[in-house]
Amino acid sequence: MSTSPAPAPEAAAGGVSRRTVLKGLGATLGLAAYAKAIAPLTEWAPSTSIDEFLQRHYKELSPLDLRVVLQRLEREAKQEYGVDVRISDLKAQPGVKFGYALNLSVCNGCRKCAEACHLENNHDRPSHNSYIRVFEMSRGSMDLEKGNAHYTHPVKQPDKYYLPVQCQQCEHPPCVDVCPVEATWKEPDGIVVVDYNWCIGCRYCEAACPYHARRFNWEKPKIAPEEINRDQGYLSNRVRPQGVMEKCTFCLHRTRAGRLPACLEACPTGARVFGNLLDPQSEIRWVLEHKRIFILKEELGLKPQFFYFFDA
Amino acid sequence: MRSLLAWLTAVLTVLLAAGWIGLRLTAAPARVDVPSPVQPARATESPRFSTTLRPGPATPRVRTGTADAQGPITVACSTCHQTTKPNPELRSAAELKQFHRGLEYRHGSLTCLSCHQASNYDALRLADGSTIPFAETMTLCSQCHGQKRRDYDHGAHGGMQGFWDLSRGPRTRNTCVHCHDPHAPAQPFVQPVLPPRDRLSVPAKSP
Amino acid sequence: MPDAAASPVLPDTTPHTPREYVRSYLRFLGQAISEAFDGGPAFYVWMILLTAVALVGANAWAIQVRDGMAVTHMSDHVSWGLYIANFTFLVGLAAGGVMMVIPAYLYHDEEMHDVVIVGELLAIAAILMALFFVVVDLGRPDRFWHLIPFLGKFHFPVSMLTWDVIVLNGYLVINVYICTYLLYERFIGRKPNPRWYVPFVFLSIVWAISIHTVTAFLYCGLGGRPFWNTALLAPRFLASAFVSGPAFIILAIQIIRRIYHRNFGDGPIETLTKIMRVTILVNFLMVLSELFVEFYTGGSHTSAARYLYLGLHGRSALVPWIWSAIGMNLLAAVLLLTSSITDHPWRLNAACVLAFAGIWIEKGMGLIIPGFIPSTLHEVVEYLPSLAEWKITAGIWAFGLLLYTVFLKITASVFARRRALDAAAAARSTP
Repeated sequence: MSTSPAPAPEAAAGGVSRRTVLKGLGATLGLAAYAKAIAPLTEWAPSTSIDEFLQRHYKELSPLDLRVVLQRLEREAKQEYGVDVRISDLKAQPGVKFGYALNLSVCNGCRKCAEACHLENNHDRPSHNSYIRVFEMSRGSMDLEKGNAHYTHPVKQPDKYYLPVQCQQCEHPPCVDVCPVEATWKEPDGIVVVDYNWCIGCRYCEAACPYHARRFNWEKPKIAPEEINRDQGYLSNRVRPQGVMEKCTFCLHRTRAGRLPACLEACPTGARVFGNLLDPQSEIRWVLEHKRIFILKEELGLKPQFFYFFDA
Repeated sequence: MRSLLAWLTAVLTVLLAAGWIGLRLTAAPARVDVPSPVQPARATESPRFSTTLRPGPATPRVRTGTADAQGPITVACSTCHQTTKPNPELRSAAELKQFHRGLEYRHGSLTCLSCHQASNYDALRLADGSTIPFAETMTLCSQCHGQKRRDYDHGAHGGMQGFWDLSRGPRTRNTCVHCHDPHAPAQPFVQPVLPPRDRLSVPAKSP
Repeated sequence: MPDAAASPVLPDTTPHTPREYVRSYLRFLGQAISEAFDGGPAFYVWMILLTAVALVGANAWAIQVRDGMAVTHMSDHVSWGLYIANFTFLVGLAAGGVMMVIPAYLYHDEEMHDVVIVGELLAIAAILMALFFVVVDLGRPDRFWHLIPFLGKFHFPVSMLTWDVIVLNGYLVINVYICTYLLYERFIGRKPNPRWYVPFVFLSIVWAISIHTVTAFLYCGLGGRPFWNTALLAPRFLASAFVSGPAFIILAIQIIRRIYHRNFGDGPIETLTKIMRVTILVNFLMVLSELFVEFYTGGSHTSAARYLYLGLHGRSALVPWIWSAIGMNLLAAVLLLTSSITDHPWRLNAACVLAFAGIWIEKGMGLIIPGFIPSTLHEVVEYLPSLAEWKITAGIWAFGLLLYTVFLKITASVFARRRALDAAAAARSTP
């Protein structure tokens, strides 16, 4: 700056000038302050291993790589929770495309599905997290703005109906399109999955999803070891790391083994119908062909594979 | 010379970028998902596991309205009804002077004997007067609720547990009475579970 | 500048061999670094202040990485907050930086040529800040490498975010190249060769439009968010960017003039004021058009606008924000449109500060946040930033200003040194 005195010619001073000493002192102090400021990072770093840091994208893992990864994750679960979990990686079956239908005429809003999801998928306990959000709606209106997800009174209220919303497993999922690192994609059986070890946590998918289907791990999920569901899937219900996205996978660790999703089994009203859309004999196909179907936000053109229906 | 070099570099960079973009553009739709390893074929002739109905009570019992340490005391209907003469007109438990007083009855205009067989209280009575075993409630209900039965038969009504894929495992299904009280079939009021407890679902306060 | 003339005069030779180029370039870098750490008491106070704020931000960020984004007030309903709001604004500021380049090069405004670097350096600082805001918004900054093409998995061209990564980094590279080229050529005493930088200047003009267009496309391409899903978003972003950019530059030029006691830039300030007069009105027109469509049409797609401007279901956290933004912009417009504004520096400065702050709110708390309220399932969950978010935001702004200060200081010293050498050469040649 023009107002500053010219730097003292060091050679003339025959050594190190006072100014240089001060500068050095300042720089040292600054560095020390910086080290202190970012010290919390050192407390965080041990929570991620080098192997995890260097892990490749799910689709680039060879069967051997994948086995190593699964074993590592099981080991880490054992270290952290003292629980023997089994993390499987079931692949999509050829000839299967999952579809889900929900009968709005009989759903009574008890949220047993949300609870089953909460327990099955190892969700964060304090936040009551669940991939299903049930809205109490006014009869005669489809306006979600008049809906309420926080009801606590006994159900089913006579002037209400109930609209559970979860991932619609869109045919054209906008959440997949927007992901900058391909951490989320649509599997051949129609399930939109997330590689929790690849997601960078930018939450663009959460902004893009029109169904509020995605959840972010704002912190490490809190779950008591004895409550952990030990039957886990790499792409589904294993305990998620902090700072990544998660979503409903139609319980693919169950459904790819042929089993029904947890939310369906828990439903006390039998409102839920699940099955293979490609099998003409399946229950889901019968519903689609014989019932009045309502698709949430159909006008967005995302072609959900989740259908609402009514009894005649 | 220098400027020529600069231009060459610039042009090359642009070309490389364009080429790469083009490559990605054309490659994107052609991208196929990793083929899944071969699974046991889902052939239609593969052995199908069975669908079993969840068992209901084998013999009918009625609540007496009293309770002991084990819970409400019930008594088998046939205990009394072997000797007691039934009243074919009866449509409400309130009309009774003893027993059944705690029985809530809200099921259209049916009388007790529309469904209960007067001659055998351990069995049920169809509309044509014929007798069916007590466990076959589904048949009885279906007489009136044909549409529900149709939905049920197609898996679109009534809950289930087990496998969606019957080539890989069995399934258990509820019958009518697992979800509906036959005397008052409308769904009762229940307390909902797990209300959302989202982060900051109340207005956030700024520091 | 006197100090530059007094500093040890380096041999004034133009490099010819590659070896000489390397040596002189290293000298150039050395000079730049020493310049960044040298100055008067006011400079030190300013830099220490910025460093302190930046460190507070760094600390808050480290805690956020350790404890999770739970330290913010973002939620699954409002999943982007202050960070992305600032990111959007800063991309606009970076694009607005070229508002000086256009008159300088397209219309051959000679006086503008001298100060155009002020805008380009602003673009560099703003892009760096924007990138920092993206990084602090990530839940897993350790996985940043997944975004690097070839090394990670770059979802190009489907994801708009990858386009943004490309255009922002490209813009950064272009501007860094132009600025260092211009400075280095002056440093070695050569007149910059237009063939080496003018094509890139034109490229940067087009590129500036692209960075803000792509950033708008990030939001307006989302069908599930009706508040953003408008074709007017990109033009609106550009219009407001061309208010905030010139506003900042006008203020910066005046501050530089004060510090260096030099009289330059009256012409550019006048040109920029003229630009702002137009762009602030265009921006108003666009906001008005949006408001008309929203409120005249009505329906549930306009809930976000109703929430923002009037409040919805008794929730109104953003209402004071947006009306202050509108108030500031209106006042700025009124001030700018008075004919004698350039004769009254303080009035002009007030207008610039008001417009800058007004646009900052309009694009952040007034555009990014209401896109999430009500949520896609029409729930009203409000958002106001947490203390941690404010700390990190302040930290990044402080660091950005620190960089900008250093950039300007290096530039000033290079220019001053050149002038001194030229003057000395002129004195030698005329006995």
